[in-house]
Amino acid sequence: MPISRRALAAAVTALVLPLSACGSGGDGGGSTNASGKVEGDITFQTWNLRANFKDYFDGLIADFEKKYPGTHVKWVDQPAEGYADKLSADAAGGTLPDVVNVSPDLVAPLAKAGLAMDLDKTAAKYRSEYLPGAWASHQIPGMSGTYAFPWYLNTGPMFYNKALFKQAGLDPEKPPSTYDELFADALRMAQKSGGKVATLANIPTIEDFGRYGASLMNKEGTGFAFNDAKGVELLTKYKQLYDNKGLDTQALNATPESAGKKFLTQAVAMNPGSALDLDHFKTQAPSLYKNIGITDQITNTGHVNMYVMGMMVNSRTRNTPTAVAFAHYVTDAEHQMSFAKKVAIFPSTAGSLDDPYFTKEDGTDETRVRIAAAKSLKNAVNYTPALFSEQMKTALRNEVDKALQGKQSPQAALDNAVKACDQLLKQQG
Amino acid sequence: MATSTVPRTRSSRPARRPQRRPAFRIRRQLPTSPWLFAAPGLVVTGAFILYPFVSTVINSFTDRRTLIPGRFVGLANFRELLHDDMFWIGLRNSALYVAGVVPALVLLPLLLALLVQKNIPGITFFRSAFYTPVVASIVVVGLIWVWLLDERGLVNSLLETVGVGKVGFLSDQWLLLLSAMTVTVWKGLGYYMIIYLAALANVPRELHEAAAVDGAGAVRRFLTVTVPAIRSTMVLVAALSSVSAFKVFSEVYLLASPNGGPAGEDTTLVMLVQRTGTGLTGRVGYASAISLVVFAVTVVLMLLVLRADRREDS
Repeated sequence: MPISRRALAAAVTALVLPLSACGSGGDGGGSTNASGKVEGDITFQTWNLRANFKDYFDGLIADFEKKYPGTHVKWVDQPAEGYADKLSADAAGGTLPDVVNVSPDLVAPLAKAGLAMDLDKTAAKYRSEYLPGAWASHQIPGMSGTYAFPWYLNTGPMFYNKALFKQAGLDPEKPPSTYDELFADALRMAQKSGGKVATLANIPTIEDFGRYGASLMNKEGTGFAFNDAKGVELLTKYKQLYDNKGLDTQALNATPESAGKKFLTQAVAMNPGSALDLDHFKTQAPSLYKNIGITDQITNTGHVNMYVMGMMVNSRTRNTPTAVAFAHYVTDAEHQMSFAKKVAIFPSTAGSLDDPYFTKEDGTDETRVRIAAAKSLKNAVNYTPALFSEQMKTALRNEVDKALQGKQSPQAALDNAVKACDQLLKQQG
Repeated sequence: MATSTVPRTRSSRPARRPQRRPAFRIRRQLPTSPWLFAAPGLVVTGAFILYPFVSTVINSFTDRRTLIPGRFVGLANFRELLHDDMFWIGLRNSALYVAGVVPALVLLPLLLALLVQKNIPGITFFRSAFYTPVVASIVVVGLIWVWLLDERGLVNSLLETVGVGKVGFLSDQWLLLLSAMTVTVWKGLGYYMIIYLAALANVPRELHEAAAVDGAGAVRRFLTVTVPAIRSTMVLVAALSSVSAFKVFSEVYLLASPNGGPAGEDTTLVMLVQRTGTGLTGRVGYASAISLVVFAVTVVLMLLVLRADRREDS
């Protein structure tokens, strides 16, 4: 007997209706009142931290649950690869954890979608505990409010290969500190090595434009502005560097990982990194480690770039008091300091960087890197605009590549990049 | 209640043969039974094929983003495609991939199958060796090829040794695409070789013997006996490989970086879908429109291959 149309329609409706609930949105969720009793269950998500810091977070959670009886924190950790995709899937599916480890560029779209809690409303009393610049790093241009507690800060040093500097007739104890010095040294390195050793393996990023002195966005935060005279000047110099093999020939499609590998194999002389890389060099490239030099990031503004991690509270949490209390607990001065002693990161809490741990030398390389980084952090700037999405990074990268290949002028390339980024910004709403 | 098993007879009718009572009665089939049996399959198909497809079609007419529900925008996404340079680059590269990979994957596995067809001692080793790339992880394979083709890799070292000099396999947009095609062909050889081996086993030996008696050489026997006998398999291989070549992602992604090579010039359409539609700021509506184009081109490719086959038949 053939199935009736009505039965078929009912079956399809039954199938599709539950699935249609999988879209973004939700029931509007939680309260913005954080003053209630701290109790009940919450979920806490970190970004690729379980492998190395399981004991630290287990202890942190146990201490919190002991301090606030009746609470239970479920900890989940996501791998670094595809973290933004995981967040977007959770956000769209209504399964975003109550407390989430984010960076400013991740928090911006979540805040715009109404999924990040405004801490200026729910946790303003904690504001004075943090460095003003760090607190402001999770404020979104075009929106009022602050959307994540600042957690740890970092500013990667610049590593360089002293042996390659020496071979090129450069002083290995005087690495470049400004872009002009960098370009001069890089051209000399390329010339002396017959084009076999490049100084850099990466094309300029938005942070390079910021450190060179270009304006990144207009004052209102409604459009990009890195196609100014400074931006064009930087790209013109990079083009000269690329033509003279001071920039690696595979730089146009390099990733941070592939650039790191080039430095490891001593094919390039300089590469940005973090204090964690030192151990990596020691085990993976002992001959490089013997000749490793450590210096500050290259900058023309006197400010290095600062990377900020944050702890966002899901605005739809069903347990606002506990979620806010836990996000604050993880990021308060005491716990940031204890985390900083386990890994090369820096606290975003006021006064923590004056601790002897960040000021007193003990003769080791690790301490030297830590002290130098802590010192530069005091006047560091977060040069990554919070609204600069992955799609915008790609747009900038493609136009920079075209300029380096000589397919268009630096001015035209940056004009096109700004136009594309503005269009994407408009589409983001 | 007892029932009589003795048939009543009437003089006007022939006597019925006594019927044996069945061990159990087969109940009348319910009209919904077939649907109940099909339900698990239908639910899976609906949830994982039908719903995503319908959803993609609907999204392609909206400006939906990852976290923000879209509004109906009509054909705006498709109009934008026409003016999007990156879309045309993706379409060009995907089409070039089909043009470069499909002929190689139709012919080379056939030659390989002919090579390992005969049962001689040790042939199993070679069959297994040729099949190994098929089961290897594409990520591992991609990384190995990146190491081989790097400027300081094995291939460039050999080229430098013989005086050719360094070749920018991973920095030149066209060489990058060619390198990715090479990886696809190398990885697919074993798979299609197995399909051809099965087809070759069905070619009657008598035909080859008769042709040989008539004086046909090896090449002539291949062209006049083997190829016609396995033509339908060749069409199948062409269809399968053209669809997968048009939808290529991993090889180009791994060799040319997620950015799609210098200035994104090696981006394929599926890479563009991934880059446009994922992440917290992904443009789901626009990516859905590109997906529909990929779907339409794939269907057209299949139809063209099948039509060419029918024409040959007639």
